[in-house]
Amino acid sequence: MKPSRVALVVVAVAMCGMGLWALQRRGDYGFGYDDSGSNVKGEFYWSRMAYNSNMERYGAYGRRGFWGFAAWSRDYPKADRQFLIAMHRLTRINGRSTEQVVSLDNDDIFNYPWIYAVQVQDWTFTPAQAKRLREYLQKGGFLMVDDFHGTEDWENFMNGMRQVLPNRPVEDLQSGDEIFHTLYDVDNKMQIPGEQYVWTGRTYEKDGYQPKYRAIRDDRGRIIVAICHNMHLGDAWEWADDPNYPETFASMAFRVGLDFIIYGMTH
Amino acid sequence: MFQFLFKYPSPVFTKGRFELLGSWPAWLLPVFIAVAAGGLALLVQWRLRHAVPNLKSWRAWAIWGAQSALVALILVLLWQPAITVAELSSQQNIIAVVVDDSRSMAIADNNGETREAAALAALEDGVLAGLKKRFQTRLYRFGGGLTQVENPQGIAPTDPATHIGDSLKKLVTDTADLPVGAVLLLSDGAENTSGLGGTGVGLDALQALRNRRLPVHVIGFGKVEAAHDVEVEDVSVAPRATANARVATTISLTEHGYAGQKATLTVRNGDSLVAEREITLAPEGRVQTESLFFPVGAAGAKSLTFGVEPLPGEENLNNNAVTRPILVSDAKRKILYVEGEPRWQYKFIRRAEDDDPTVQVVSMLRTSENKVYRQGITNPNELAEGFPVRAEDLFGYAGIIIGSVQADYFTPLEQELLREYVDQRGGGILFLGGDSSLSDGGWAGSSLSDLLPTFLPAGNQNFHRDPATVELTPAGMDSPVTRLLDDPAKNADVWRELTYLADYEDPGAAKPGATVLVDMHANGRRMPFLITQQYGHGRTAIVASGGTWRWQMSEPLGDPAHDLFWQQLLRWLIAESPGPVTASMPARLLADAGQVQISAEVRNAQFQPSADADVAAHIVGPGGVNTMVDLTPSADTPGLYQGDWTAEKPGTYLAEVTASPASDQSDPLGSDVLTFQREDGVAENFHTGQNRRLLEQLAEETGGRYWKSTDLKNLPRDISYSEAGISVRSTKELWDMPIVFLLLLGLPLLEWLLRRKWGVI
Repeated sequence: MKPSRVALVVVAVAMCGMGLWALQRRGDYGFGYDDSGSNVKGEFYWSRMAYNSNMERYGAYGRRGFWGFAAWSRDYPKADRQFLIAMHRLTRINGRSTEQVVSLDNDDIFNYPWIYAVQVQDWTFTPAQAKRLREYLQKGGFLMVDDFHGTEDWENFMNGMRQVLPNRPVEDLQSGDEIFHTLYDVDNKMQIPGEQYVWTGRTYEKDGYQPKYRAIRDDRGRIIVAICHNMHLGDAWEWADDPNYPETFASMAFRVGLDFIIYGMTH
Repeated sequence: MFQFLFKYPSPVFTKGRFELLGSWPAWLLPVFIAVAAGGLALLVQWRLRHAVPNLKSWRAWAIWGAQSALVALILVLLWQPAITVAELSSQQNIIAVVVDDSRSMAIADNNGETREAAALAALEDGVLAGLKKRFQTRLYRFGGGLTQVENPQGIAPTDPATHIGDSLKKLVTDTADLPVGAVLLLSDGAENTSGLGGTGVGLDALQALRNRRLPVHVIGFGKVEAAHDVEVEDVSVAPRATANARVATTISLTEHGYAGQKATLTVRNGDSLVAEREITLAPEGRVQTESLFFPVGAAGAKSLTFGVEPLPGEENLNNNAVTRPILVSDAKRKILYVEGEPRWQYKFIRRAEDDDPTVQVVSMLRTSENKVYRQGITNPNELAEGFPVRAEDLFGYAGIIIGSVQADYFTPLEQELLREYVDQRGGGILFLGGDSSLSDGGWAGSSLSDLLPTFLPAGNQNFHRDPATVELTPAGMDSPVTRLLDDPAKNADVWRELTYLADYEDPGAAKPGATVLVDMHANGRRMPFLITQQYGHGRTAIVASGGTWRWQMSEPLGDPAHDLFWQQLLRWLIAESPGPVTASMPARLLADAGQVQISAEVRNAQFQPSADADVAAHIVGPGGVNTMVDLTPSADTPGLYQGDWTAEKPGTYLAEVTASPASDQSDPLGSDVLTFQREDGVAENFHTGQNRRLLEQLAEETGGRYWKSTDLKNLPRDISYSEAGISVRSTKELWDMPIVFLLLLGLPLLEWLLRRKWGVI
């Protein structure tokens, strides 16, 4: 056999292997090896939404998906678990100490009325997925999105959102809105930067200079999608134990996150 | 024939008193009869051994029976039997002839002739003339009232009501100083004093007749049953409802000639159809009761028509529907929801109630150890200090929901207040299953354990985050709380197919008197899921799960099961919780009469009876009726106020009863609204068949007789046996009755024939 043919076979086998590995990670959402607390049943499950990334821009598995992790799993699972620690300490919510990954590919999502999604500039939905998420929100589910920055990210986020809720307007939340007063009174809202603040000193990324707390409401005025644009609360939770990450941002991120959860569990 | 054998007409025997005129003591008669019969028995016994074989059997005792009967008859005659009977004196008494002129008498079911025509014909064809030979007569017509008329030509079947009892009572009163010897009533008996279904003559009327010893002789007209007819017998529906609720009604009907056929029940609001349901008609004449659910719609006073669609060939279409006044209220009533931890049940109950315009859920949720998140509050001060500790603060809520809250979260004072809330104030408390609920929340050992509708199980590990499915019990199939679909069988299927609950808690066994509406199955066990009970003046219930929210999230979008169930359950919880003012009246439907008595129970802020309030009813009605009626305190019942008023015109009326403290008119204690309806002439369309039972009963109760219209020959004679009016008592000896002589001859002849037959002569 010619060396070129041998090399071709090796490359083909390697690619199949890597593809299979990637599929497996995708199939179980990349977690499942850590079983601590996973089997404990609770009232509340920190539910992280796994979604398909925009294939046209970054390939089938999203930004860095092929080489590292999918876009939906940014800060996962440390951010989730650190947040759950705070939630247990500061509220009476009976929640599982580990996160739950949910997908739009089956009806299991309806068992988790509160979901969290990040890097939503990358999300994209099949018609069936969009329909499922729309029904989820119309039935009473709550979605919090985080960690996307600037004008382009916003447009990409809205591309997906328009698949789900085509005619729902997005509004800027005001300080007096109920969602900022369910557990903590969050009146002075600041921009919560990601970990990059530690080495750049910038609170913003891309052209997302201003923090944007936004929302989509249902017919009765209840918030069904809470949007944290130009911010990265997930990083603030994840790096809350980093001495270099300012406590002010971490505390604010916890307060906002807890307010959003209580709101989602009461409205 | 009777008079031929017994010499006297039958009333002599039915109304007279039997007497023995002989000078010997009456008690000797049975003694002699016994001695004679005994002697004959001994003789027969003694002679039996010498008798021919043919007589040595029961035949000897047959001979003895004939002989003894003959001896007994002779002995009775020796004691001179007689009958004493009262008889009206000729030409000194008045017979009151009372003719029904109500509209039902115009029904032509007497060989093409109307009942009224048949009645007048009966009078003119001999009855009236026969009576006039012996008595004076007075002619009356009656319907809703009684009027004297000069001659039968003044009677026409136009009156919109039939009040037999009232009319007879008035007759007794009007003729108190006249020698009335008897009453002759010509009617179809379609009594409707009490509206639809009023079938009796009042006791007061009967008593008035008895006091005068006035017999009422009745001639009945009309067919007892129509050949082809469907009639609504009664409709039972709550007089109040909350806006947009589904209300249950029970329609009773009978049919003749349509057994087994399909018919359609309907509810209409004016011309618009509100609900309908197809039924199969029950066998002939049997009262059939069917339930029907209908959406009551928006708030307001409504007059709904409940009925059955006309069937081909029906003889009477006017008895196919009835109207009922219903007051639909959209007044918001507050429910206090206390929840011990953030959980989905809380959210989804609140969301379900967001769609109920009549319920305001005011909630206090413990989000952290020391924080309470309030929702639905009316003002910033509401629940600011936590759970209410004063009766006037807590009793303002019509219902309470206690979620996953440990019993010791409530102080002993608050627990006692909760008990009084149910027991005295008449409120409803719903307990939910949860991590800190029921037995796991220490409620079994609390002072409020008897408030719960179940015996809670031991231990505190009875809450499980495992799936459980639900199933209706027989009681649940009939309950409006669990009615997701109108069809009971389909409704049961819907419940059985509901997605599983997220969790469940074993609530223990239902207490005696409690009702389990829904069961649940979990881990191979069957347990109660929804249990209700009455407690004191109020009610309590348990929903033994915190996981019904899955019915909302996991059933298809738009499935109403979750929201409908919670809305119905919470409406049940508060439906009977009285407000500070509770107005009522005996009947909301006034048939052909307008007298109403409005009552109001008035309570103060602590829900204690308020005896010093100013209470008035503001009544508006048809034709510009707009008046105020003061309600006066009852001498017997503190807090009860009553007032009488008369609705002069037919139509729907609205009465708002308002109570204010006598000391401060500007701050009312509260108000309540009633609706009622007067309808004239409608009841006459129902029960149009001859009510022979009522007429016979009336005759029997007063000592008269029911006469068929075809057999009135003896009426003028028999009516004279009466103790009313001017009467004389006469004694009629019985020894010369032809039947006596026939027996005297017949008994020996019978003995001779028997002996002949048996060959012993």
